[in-house]
Amino acid sequence: MTEQKAEKPKRELPLSRQLVNKQTEDVYASAWAAKEKGESIGWSTAIFPQELCETFDVPVLYPENNAASISARHFGNQFIEHAEGEMKYPINICSYARLNMGMADMMKNGKFEGVEPAMPLPTFLCLANNSCTQLMKWYENLSENLSIPIFFVDCLFNYNEEEPDAYKNKYVRSQIENNIAAMEKFFNKKFDWNRFLEVQRISQVNRKLFNEIVALNTRMPAPLDGFDLFNYMSCLVICRGKESTTEILKQLKKEVEEHIANGTSTFRGTEEYRVHWEGIACWPNLGFNLKTLRKYGVNAVMNGYVTAWDVAYEPGDLNGMAKAYQCSSTNSFSTPSIMDMRSKSMKKFACDGMLCHVNRSCKLMSFHIFTGRDIIEARNKIPIVNFDGDQSDTRVFSEAQFENRLQGLVEVMKENKGGK
Amino acid sequence: MVFFGIDIGSTATKGTLVNHNGDIVYTTVEAIGTGTKGSARVTERVQEFAAQQGVSIQMTMATGYGRFSYVEGGLQKSEISCHAKGMFYLLPNVRTIIDIGGQDVKAIRLNNKGQIVNFVMNDKCAAGTGRFIETMAKVIDVPLAQFGDLAVQAVSVASISSTCTVFAESEVVSKMSTGISIPNLIAGIHASVARRVVGLVRRNGIEPDIALSGGVSLNMGIVTALEEELHAPLFVSPFSQVAGSLGAALYAKELFEKGNGKTL
Repeated sequence: MTEQKAEKPKRELPLSRQLVNKQTEDVYASAWAAKEKGESIGWSTAIFPQELCETFDVPVLYPENNAASISARHFGNQFIEHAEGEMKYPINICSYARLNMGMADMMKNGKFEGVEPAMPLPTFLCLANNSCTQLMKWYENLSENLSIPIFFVDCLFNYNEEEPDAYKNKYVRSQIENNIAAMEKFFNKKFDWNRFLEVQRISQVNRKLFNEIVALNTRMPAPLDGFDLFNYMSCLVICRGKESTTEILKQLKKEVEEHIANGTSTFRGTEEYRVHWEGIACWPNLGFNLKTLRKYGVNAVMNGYVTAWDVAYEPGDLNGMAKAYQCSSTNSFSTPSIMDMRSKSMKKFACDGMLCHVNRSCKLMSFHIFTGRDIIEARNKIPIVNFDGDQSDTRVFSEAQFENRLQGLVEVMKENKGGK
Repeated sequence: MVFFGIDIGSTATKGTLVNHNGDIVYTTVEAIGTGTKGSARVTERVQEFAAQQGVSIQMTMATGYGRFSYVEGGLQKSEISCHAKGMFYLLPNVRTIIDIGGQDVKAIRLNNKGQIVNFVMNDKCAAGTGRFIETMAKVIDVPLAQFGDLAVQAVSVASISSTCTVFAESEVVSKMSTGISIPNLIAGIHASVARRVVGLVRRNGIEPDIALSGGVSLNMGIVTALEEELHAPLFVSPFSQVAGSLGAALYAKELFEKGNGKTL
């Protein structure tokens, strides 16, 4: 008799996660429906003022979010290879850019392999350079290759202060206003300022809810596996101004509060150590990283990435909104300011250590890793370890090296806790 | 009663036995690493020694890249902690440890109690690692064991500008064809490694005494090149090569004394 190995039953996702999946499906479905009808579809950078297209009720998809999903499903290499080979892009540029430009070119030329989640090709682009300046060359490629317009918001770097000069905010505000006028022509629709106010209000409700949920992870043990935040942040990336996000985050908050009340957590196992994860997830290695962290009882309770969509302003205040987009990403701050935020956050979250992802693709986020760790070490007196990886390029990360460094970190954290 | 530490590295396997006082009673090195018979041979020799001496191995601790696949004893610890433990035992004034492993370079900073304050390791690149030196040894067809002696004979240091192992290989080949002497080439290889390693050590901060751990410590050419790059003396113990396995043995002893472990 042949012995059959029973298939491991899949763990049922909490309702909030099911709602996230449904929301993502709906967003992609509405974009495909627009394509069927020959209507406008946008591709946007992650921290573009989403309030504009949301007000126009035009579907928008987010290549950075899409690249992360495709990478996590291990489908990204074919697009990256296409970008490096046929499109002649070097390995040193952002792997999200390589993946997305490669995918767009393959789609355009009918070579697309139907990888999920598949985005329809856009008819326009929304670009804000507040999180990264490489985005401009990436979107320039898309615009040229697909012969479509870009709605651009040029955000100026806060090189010598954290409070942007008034002229910088004025510059961003005038661009938002110009984009509204240009979009009215492009979409052949009138901009509804009342609806805009409502979208602004929803956006603020959503970001506040998300912050409240993140803050609940300061509890010990944390009610959430910190990696869960990478999943939930997609609501703020792709649907920051939608009521569906409010529903998801309310549900999530309820679940988190239940975990706190019951003394449970989505972190499987015992939370022995709490660390801050610096940088983007290694999406292709997300599963391995998660399992290895769990193996050593390490919960990455907080990271500096998930709060990048905390675009805070008063609804109706266009100046405030311009300022918020001007300085929402930590990439628009100086290294001491970023590390000051990290240091405070690590104290608040009672982190025993810091795990820094030196993301080969992202020069901006990797730039301060080593000087940053010196600042944190001096202020927080915690051990810090860095490891090489990438947000999408699978050639950079080494499982053995990651585990070796993590185990070393755990042993130092254990020693610091008196060997307990 | 003895305690066994085994360091299964990517290029060599080292074993150390310590007694109940923590004194080193036996060391052995096999020049093959993880995935080979290295760990079995080291274990066999250690067990033979223990049998000859009439002592029992109370506990075993594995370290190094092959530690997860070493089944005897079932205990393992990272080589970061083990090198720190071993080197602090050998040189109690050490505050900065450099370990040039087969595929990893480590810089470890200790406090005056021997606890790790912080550590850094190389990125995913073989430059500056033991593998880099091994690859160059194959290119110039000189056994690695002779590198230290030959480096002393160098009258000048050949310039090896490539940090990448693959590019450095072709650079060394082209330099050989121009007639640069083997000792000068070896000195250049050592200088190239030293530049890379010291760059990494500086990231972690340097506090004296600085010591070199691992098998590369046997190569005096590297030691000299590192000292020149550090502008500071670099301490080496006669047991530096086995510092990782020594640290593992000391951890095994500690664990046994705490009563937490299993007996081999």
